Amino acid sequence: MIMAEPVSHKAAKPPEPAPGDNPPPLPEESDLVKRARRGDLAAYDDLVKRYQERIYATVYHMTSNHEDANDLAQEAFIKAFHALKSFKGGSSFYTWVYRIAVNKTINFLKQRKNKTQMSLDDLDFNVEHDPDLVALISDKTPRREVGLTELQEKLNAALQRLSEPHRLVVTLHDVQGLSHEEIAKIMDCNIGTVRSRLFYARQQLQAYLSDYLK
Amino acid sequence: MSQDTENFESLQRLLTLKRHEQPPPGYFDSFSRDVILRIKAGDRGEDAYGYFWQLPWLQRIWSALEARPVIAGGFGLAACSLLVLGVVNADTDRMDVQPVAAAPQAVATIQVANNFASDQPLLARPAAMEISESSPIATVAKDGQPSIFDLVPRPQAQTISLNLSPAGSP
Repeated sequence: MIMAEPVSHKAAKPPEPAPGDNPPPLPEESDLVKRARRGDLAAYDDLVKRYQERIYATVYHMTSNHEDANDLAQEAFIKAFHALKSFKGGSSFYTWVYRIAVNKTINFLKQRKNKTQMSLDDLDFNVEHDPDLVALISDKTPRREVGLTELQEKLNAALQRLSEPHRLVVTLHDVQGLSHEEIAKIMDCNIGTVRSRLFYARQQLQAYLSDYLK
Repeated sequence: MSQDTENFESLQRLLTLKRHEQPPPGYFDSFSRDVILRIKAGDRGEDAYGYFWQLPWLQRIWSALEARPVIAGGFGLAACSLLVLGVVNADTDRMDVQPVAAAPQAVATIQVANNFASDQPLLARPAAMEISESSPIATVAKDGQPSIFDLVPRPQAQTISLNLSPAGSP
């Protein structure tokens, strides 16, 4: 009910090839990891390309700052490359890199405390046609007068008021569409903790954004 | 409950706005290249504040202090108490040591007389030097072993007759 899995997984899905195209098969992740571990930078380049958007997005949603997200996401991949020898393969490379990026971001945010300055990315052209947002804005509420850019600023400001673990759970689940299990692996906690944090974070956000959710 | 669910649905709808936030066009075209270039340049991707901050136990303590001001206050009080206790103890130790150092039996007095000085009325008074037992010089002197200063040739006083009368006078 409240903890229902998100319907949409848009952010987590790779782009689908156009019909009729026959792209070459992607190499297995484990092969790329093995080659990268031997120092093959071309293989690591493939791995980075595979996950760069998701890692960047997670860090960006946590920081609400493009420049910080750029630095942190790059540093996470660099750190992961140098730590590949310690990667046991118990989890997927994707989960492992995610964990590095998340830890790095949380450490950064703790250092940056009270020095929050937002540098938001632009909204893409599809935003005005998103059915969820159309439904939200076309309701009979004060939201109608609020522009999308202002709504974006309010939403980011509200997210920044959450503690880092709560913001992370909302980002990974409600924005990026990861499952509770995946989030538990990334955050190295149990699923119950993920669920309770998500519930609390949503309650907090709802209070902060009450003017826009009536 | 149903109202809560509905509101969460509204919230989730609003959160879809975040998915439309995109970095500048072409940003990801150079992302992996930049990462590889930084790896080739020897970048380790470490935080500026190093490993120390990443220690899990330190982070747990920090989180606890941050979350509860009472604990943070108690921790601060304990740290200050330890500091004050340390300072008071240090002063007490110093006061205990001072009388021992000043004890008369701990000091050996050595009379150092210079042969050269003994012949000179103005320098007739011998130089006296007090050296504590802890001094290496005192230890050597007490043991009767020669000091390295004994190896230095001492100046010998010589009597010289000088005639300072002007030339030509008897």
